[in-house]
Amino acid sequence: MKLLTFVKEALEGRKLATAGAIWLLIIVVAGIAAPLIAPFDPLEIDPIARLSEPGTPYLFGTDHFGRDTFSRAVYGARMALIIGIGSVMVALLCGGLVGMLSGYFTGLGHVLMRMVDVLMAFPALLLALVLMTVLERSVFNTILVIGIVYATTTARILFGMMLKLKNEVFIDAARCSGAGHLSLLFRHILPNLLSPILVQATFIFAFAQLQAAALDFLGLGLPPEVPSWGNMLAEERIYITRAPWLLIFPGVLIILSVFSMNLLGDALRDRIDPRFKDDIAGV
Amino acid sequence: MRYVTALTLGSRMISPVSDNQPLLRVENLCIAIQNAGQLQPVVRDLSFEVQASQTLGIVGESGSGKSLTVLAIMGLLSGSPVRVTSGKVWFDGKDLLQLSDAERRSIMGDGMSMIFQEPMTSLNPVYKIGDQIMEGIRHHQHCSAKEARTRALQLLEKVKIPDASTRIDHYPHQLSGGQRQRVMIAMALACDPLLLIADEPTTALDVTVQKEVLDLIAEIQQDTGTAIILISHDLGVIAQTCNFVAVMYCGEIVESSTTEKLFQRLGHPYTRGLIESIPPLHSDVEWLNAIPGQVPALNALPVGCSYQPRCSHAQAQCRQNPPVALLDDEHIVRCHFAQQLQGRAS
Repeated sequence: MKLLTFVKEALEGRKLATAGAIWLLIIVVAGIAAPLIAPFDPLEIDPIARLSEPGTPYLFGTDHFGRDTFSRAVYGARMALIIGIGSVMVALLCGGLVGMLSGYFTGLGHVLMRMVDVLMAFPALLLALVLMTVLERSVFNTILVIGIVYATTTARILFGMMLKLKNEVFIDAARCSGAGHLSLLFRHILPNLLSPILVQATFIFAFAQLQAAALDFLGLGLPPEVPSWGNMLAEERIYITRAPWLLIFPGVLIILSVFSMNLLGDALRDRIDPRFKDDIAGV
Repeated sequence: MRYVTALTLGSRMISPVSDNQPLLRVENLCIAIQNAGQLQPVVRDLSFEVQASQTLGIVGESGSGKSLTVLAIMGLLSGSPVRVTSGKVWFDGKDLLQLSDAERRSIMGDGMSMIFQEPMTSLNPVYKIGDQIMEGIRHHQHCSAKEARTRALQLLEKVKIPDASTRIDHYPHQLSGGQRQRVMIAMALACDPLLLIADEPTTALDVTVQKEVLDLIAEIQQDTGTAIILISHDLGVIAQTCNFVAVMYCGEIVESSTTEKLFQRLGHPYTRGLIESIPPLHSDVEWLNAIPGQVPALNALPVGCSYQPRCSHAQAQCRQNPPVALLDDEHIVRCHFAQQLQGRAS
């Protein structure tokens, strides 16, 4: 409930961010109810209707196998959700734990944060590519790799906040009433980090979409049979002149989703720390 | 007038020459700060005792080491560049500095607890105040949430939070500074500690609230018999609340005595300086006798008596370490001229 009011407050008077939130809600609903919404099986082939234009019965047209693009897009939304939520969870769990422990135990922090620095020295996509070439193409591995890439930034952010929080007087006060390390970390400090973690989660969700699409496009992400927006782009890119809608639909979906997530993240961040607010954000 | 009763009551309860083991006994405590690879002493050879049910006031300028001393007693120095280099802190028969983490945690909050200076930051902003009070109770007394809540409610009533039954579900930001300090006191008292350390509990509050909070502390002391160490830079506050005073300067106790005796004859020039710099309420003065200069830097402590560069009575002799003079069986002064000066004090 508190989370809902928090989001509501963040969106107050911000039309673009609200539109973004509504769009994300549509994606979430489409993803969850994909089998009910999609008129066809996303893998069903209709060879006669190959590369047909948008219309009836194929709302977004068909691809070069004759699969319904609309159904694939709807199932792609489901995949986008899975990748997004999965990566956010991996990133927050690994990065959050590393960042919090590093900030709290100074000695351990020196070691762990240097390892994080090494990982951060690689560009995000390059690191993801290297890890994916080692691992097999699968939904789980894609989530894992993207999660690890963004765990580094999460660790950095939480490390910094931890350094500040652990010196707060109320932490000393908690120690005075006999709280141990575990209780200090997870009962007294973690709840104070929830709002920055929430903001970080929205940005990771957005970047995970881009990263996943990029990996798919390079043929190193999800297995080719999985209907995802990135895979749709990758498979149909050679038909860009004959059937441009095959690329326009998934492309627009990726852009809108990432953009919406960023708008929402901006709004949440401004709610937490109004100092970052810039003039355009209020539009 | 409540202070007077508290004071006389207090001194009757404690006979200074009792054979009873003191509740807290600090022996030759030395604290140093790690600075550029070098250990600089901050607190030097500090010894004092607190008997059960006694109120000890520690007074001194900023930087005299009074806060560090109590942080060391509470074990809150870990993780900072400050550490205890030698000495012992006996509490209830145990040396606090030798205890394991777990043993220490079982004493914290239960046997001893602390109130901090800034009420605005010493409560966790994300928890309701009731939950924060209950936490300590549940940690030490292993009781059900319902029992803990009843106890928390009693405590809030005891510290005179108006409308305690609704306030218990409020967040810290919904309370004023004085109320938050009351909540802090309630938290500190949650498990009936034997010793309560109050590190400048009223510095951040305005004068009327300050009076209320001091009244409350005095009252609680009377009711529960908790021993209290009250830290302040305000001798007036100490005079009102404490029955024992220790004056600290540059990490040393320069004078200590019962409150009555201290104010009867001030032994150390520094104590006199502190009192003379308080503006008198009933007469008009042109010029206050402020102590000249500043507390010396840690790396430039003067030789001999550390107060000597600022002292109006300083003589060549003062460049040697001052002896500890006993003006009375409880009145200790660290000054070469303690005997001569005290005659002129009043």
